[in-house]
Amino acid sequence: MKSLQRILFEAVLIAALGAAIGLAVNHRLISDAFTGKLAVPAAVTSVPGALLPQPVLLAEVRELANSGAVLIDARDFAQYADGHLPGALSLPLGEVEAQLAGFRQKVETGKTLVAYCNGYGCPDSFDLGMLLLKDGYRDVRVFEGGFPEWRDAGLPVVKGAR
Amino acid sequence: MKRTGRISYHLCRLLLGGVFVWAGAIKALDVPVFAGQVAAYQLLPYAWNYAVAAALPYVELLAGILLLINIRIKPATLLVGLLNAVFIVVLLSVLARGLNIDCGCFGPDAGTTPLQALGRDAVLLALAVAIYRQQDRYVRSPVSPPED
Repeated sequence: MKSLQRILFEAVLIAALGAAIGLAVNHRLISDAFTGKLAVPAAVTSVPGALLPQPVLLAEVRELANSGAVLIDARDFAQYADGHLPGALSLPLGEVEAQLAGFRQKVETGKTLVAYCNGYGCPDSFDLGMLLLKDGYRDVRVFEGGFPEWRDAGLPVVKGAR
Repeated sequence: MKRTGRISYHLCRLLLGGVFVWAGAIKALDVPVFAGQVAAYQLLPYAWNYAVAAALPYVELLAGILLLINIRIKPATLLVGLLNAVFIVVLLSVLARGLNIDCGCFGPDAGTTPLQALGRDAVLLALAVAIYRQQDRYVRSPVSPPED
C-alpha cells in the first residue's frame, strides 16, 4: 500500500512530465503566442506576390483605428451584438453577399480596412479580407488575435447591434 | 466472482486509458485549433489558451498510456480523476454563463454540447474512482515499496 502522499506526488509528476513534453513540442507556437507574433497562416506565405490581407498586431490595430482605418467584424450578427471593438462595422463572412453593396456605399475603396474575428483558428477575417481585396479595396489587413485578444488586453468593448 | 471482478477491472482500465489516449492524440495533432476551442471557454488570457492547448493533450496521452500498459495505475488514475473533476467544473461554468460552445474534448469535429460532455465526464470520473479503489485488490506488488 503506497501512501496517498506518494501517489499524489507521482500524479503531479506525470502531469508535469506530460505538460513539459507538450510545451517542448509546441515551443515555437507558445513563444509566438506570448510575444504576440503568431505565425501567419500558411496560405499567406505560400502565394508569393499575390495581393493578400496583411496581418497586424494589437498595437498596430489601435494605431490604425486612431488614424481613421475602418475596423470590420467578420463574426455573425449575434456575436457582434454581444461585444465588438469600438467603431467596428459588422460584415459577417456568411452574410457578405447580402451586405457588401451597403458596405461599399459606406466605405470608400481607398480606406484602410482591418478585419477581425475570433482569433486563433478563426479564418473568417482572412477570407473576408480576400473578398474585400477582390472587390476593389486596396489596403486590407487582418487582426489575427481578433476579438479575444482585444478583450483580454482590457481594451474597451462595445455591446449592441449595428 | 473474483475472476469476473478482475476482468471488469482490467476492461475499465483499458477503456479509460483508451479514451484518454484518443482524446489526447486528436488534440495534440492540431494544437492551434484546440487553442481556439480553449479560448471559446473564455477563462484564460489570450496566450495562455495556447499553453493549455499545448500541454493538456500530452498530459492526457501520458496518463492514458500508463493506464493502458498497466504501470503506475494509482497515480495515473488519480490524475485522470482530477482532470475530469476540473473538466466538470469548467463545463458547469460554461452552462452557468450560458455559453453555446463546442466542448472540444475530442477535437473540433466531435460536436459535443457542454451538457453531453458533462454526462460523459461524470461516467469517466466514476470509472476512475472505481479503478483507483479496486487497484489494490487486483494488482498486488510482490514487494511493497518503501514507505516514506
